[in-house]
Amino acid sequence: MGAAAMNLILNEEQRDCYQEITNVAMGQAADRLARLLNVYVILPIPKVNMISASELHMALADTTINDDVSAVCQGFIGSGIAGEALLVFNDASFSDLAQLMKYKGPLDRHGELELLMDVSSVLIGACIHGIGEQLEISFNQGHPVVLGQHCHVDDLVKSGNHQWSQTLAIEIHYEIENVNINCDLLLLFTEDSVAKINQQIDYLLD
Amino acid sequence: MTKSAFEFAEMHWLMDVLQSIDVGLVILDREYKIQLWNGFMENHSGLRPDEVHDKPLFESFDDIPETWFRQKAEPVFELKTRTFTIWEQRPYLFQFKNYRPITGRASTMYQNSSIIPLESIDGSVNHICLIIYDVTDTAVNQEDLTKANAHLAYLSQTDGLTQLFNRGFWEERFQREHKRCIRTQAPCSLVMFDIDHFKKVNDTYGHQAGDEVIRTLASIVRQTARETDICGRYGGEEFTILLIDTDADSATNFTERLRKKVAALTVTTNEHEINFTISSGIAQFSTKFTKHNQWIEAADKALYHAKENGRNKTSVYQLK
Repeated sequence: MGAAAMNLILNEEQRDCYQEITNVAMGQAADRLARLLNVYVILPIPKVNMISASELHMALADTTINDDVSAVCQGFIGSGIAGEALLVFNDASFSDLAQLMKYKGPLDRHGELELLMDVSSVLIGACIHGIGEQLEISFNQGHPVVLGQHCHVDDLVKSGNHQWSQTLAIEIHYEIENVNINCDLLLLFTEDSVAKINQQIDYLLD
Repeated sequence: MTKSAFEFAEMHWLMDVLQSIDVGLVILDREYKIQLWNGFMENHSGLRPDEVHDKPLFESFDDIPETWFRQKAEPVFELKTRTFTIWEQRPYLFQFKNYRPITGRASTMYQNSSIIPLESIDGSVNHICLIIYDVTDTAVNQEDLTKANAHLAYLSQTDGLTQLFNRGFWEERFQREHKRCIRTQAPCSLVMFDIDHFKKVNDTYGHQAGDEVIRTLASIVRQTARETDICGRYGGEEFTILLIDTDADSATNFTERLRKKVAALTVTTNEHEINFTISSGIAQFSTKFTKHNQWIEAADKALYHAKENGRNKTSVYQLK
């Protein structure tokens, strides 16, 4: 049976488990961010869903309310599990972020790229590492790719011609107390990874 | 082969691979002193491992900005997380020559780098590994593409003869400004003007001379307009300028200045000296212009009025 023919549905138990794993991982990520920036990071409950290619745009549009955004994405792979992490920043966040990071240079396109890269290294790295640790997998990470700066959310991911029909999406919205910083981390796993993670989860649940 | 002999051989293979792999590998200790320097680094830098061993990185390579690099590397030590740099941030970390010095078009090697933590037996991170990737081809292609797209965008927006915006793009910008005016209610004036008796210029001196007149007029428009004003060639000898943050009075000053400059000018072609004049119509934005076409029509009416009143004139649209 081809992967495309499978209609993957998560049962409640699995969904809870994904949520729990993400909770732990993003907690670790938030802890590192907090230590790096010396601030209190507010954590919501991660959203776990199977979404289709067309819904990815909707999921992205949901993340930041409006305005222009900048985003970085990074692929990861290990033990037959593969996916991408997308970090989307509201452009309005950069001035506050620069202050927190004690960034001295001019806050132009280049300065924003520096901040974007620094924060994404920490957040994505810690989150992927945290998930890997719980699943007992050591992930390799590809190089981050800038999806766009100062663009509309719709333009981040080119639509059409996707090689997949469904993806497991985990959405995490990070906020920092008393500061105007909004960012969303999206973890997207490939279809064929989902079966493998489920196996691993079932094994851990037993 | 016994198990231990195999393990020994395997270790050797791995060392060989690390030495000859086409990726740069550098291990740094807590003081940023170089502890490992593989073949890639040796060959591209021209420095042998014994020449750099135990030397601080920033001493051997003083073009690496220390504060910047520390900002990337400290989280690796402190938080045990990987960090990355990409060529869009800085084209390179180590200034190496292009791997293809003859056919390559970039003089230096573009690099991406990963910085990964190396854990000691007690779990602390006292060393980090710097991995350098050559991404010159990707970077050069990306830059070519960006340039090509920018050029295509310019071509699709520009009128070939005058280098002003073409009608399609001018209208696009005009519609956007019209929406902005509705929102902000800021004063904004639209000027439409054309060359008086242009047909006569063409008939008397030929189309080549006519083109020269249009080109000269466009260059005066560019000199007279501010950078924020939106100038376009609307039709054959008809031009439009949208004056941002300008009321009808200031627009009249602007247009009169333009009109006088043109009237005082002589275009010299091979055989002829040509004098010409322009007539202009001005319409300041009003909330009554709910559609952008209405605004254009108003300026057009004012232009018609200027023509009716003897040409070489400026006329302002009066709201009824």
